Amino acid sequence: MDDFERELTRMMREGRAHTPFDPGRRARLYEGIRARRRTRVLVRAGGSALAVAGLSVGLAFLPHLGSGPAPADLPLPATGSTAPPRSGGPTGPASGTAEPSTSAPPTRGTGAGTPGDTPPGTTEPATTAPGSTPSGPVSPPATEPGTSGPSPGSTPTYPPPSG
Amino acid sequence: MQRFRADGFDEFVAARWSALLHVARLLTGGDRQRAEDLVQESLVKLWFAWPKVAEQAPEAYVRQVLVRLAARSARRRWWGERPVGELPDRPGPGDVSAAVAERSRLESALALLTPRQRAAVVLRYYEDLPEGQVAQALGCPVGTARSHASRGVARLREILSDSARPVK
Repeated sequence: MDDFERELTRMMREGRAHTPFDPGRRARLYEGIRARRRTRVLVRAGGSALAVAGLSVGLAFLPHLGSGPAPADLPLPATGSTAPPRSGGPTGPASGTAEPSTSAPPTRGTGAGTPGDTPPGTTEPATTAPGSTPSGPVSPPATEPGTSGPSPGSTPTYPPPSG
Repeated sequence: MQRFRADGFDEFVAARWSALLHVARLLTGGDRQRAEDLVQESLVKLWFAWPKVAEQAPEAYVRQVLVRLAARSARRRWWGERPVGELPDRPGPGDVSAAVAERSRLESALALLTPRQRAAVVLRYYEDLPEGQVAQALGCPVGTARSHASRGVARLREILSDSARPVK
């Protein structure tokens, strides 16, 4: 360190004046801290809102991106064609009427088929004209008794749906 | 929570305020208002980092922030100054002295350096930091910091010798 550098150091240190940290400066400092904290909170809130908005937009457009047949939709028609027996209230009478229809003796007296070969509900009596009095097996499908009731004048012999 | 965060912060600021203000004044080439702004901004940053640096080296942290803020503010074209009708700070009668004149001469000379040279000279000769810490505060290699300091001193030598030359 030469003379000039020593002089430079002296000049820098001699000019130092004591400046107290008075309450006014302290208040100004803490006001700056509060302002910075508010800014940071706002920036974080804005970032969160942007993230939520981006996710929402992404989720809104996601179904449109995969517009092809969804894998979960494919097995549904196959299972629907097998027509599994429905469970619940309306199926109760159906099962209840199916038993008597299969066990009931044929009323047409053809004797060609054994009971149970052909479903009674799908045979000719289903297309009989109004006014005829079909017996139990030729009654309309019992699975929907409310919607497709027997034709006028018919006297169904199957028991009413229960429970 | 806030009290826990600021535990010891007030004492540190009260103890180091004057020294930090003087460093900032040297770093800004004698601009007192800008020096106060820089110290304030550095201490605000220190407050948020206080739980991490309180047990380590808060002064080194705030010095580094101060140097970088000073370099950044020197690149700014406008510091938010607005013209006023009256000067807010009038020099008191005690300020008119040879010491003040010398300080003004030094600050004027420092103002002519580049921000990096000024920071290197102040840290090296006023703070008496080793070259490694000067480089760390400047965020550059040691050789670069040494180069900044030597060029700054050479420039100051030239400026101050010119201004000290007696007027004929």
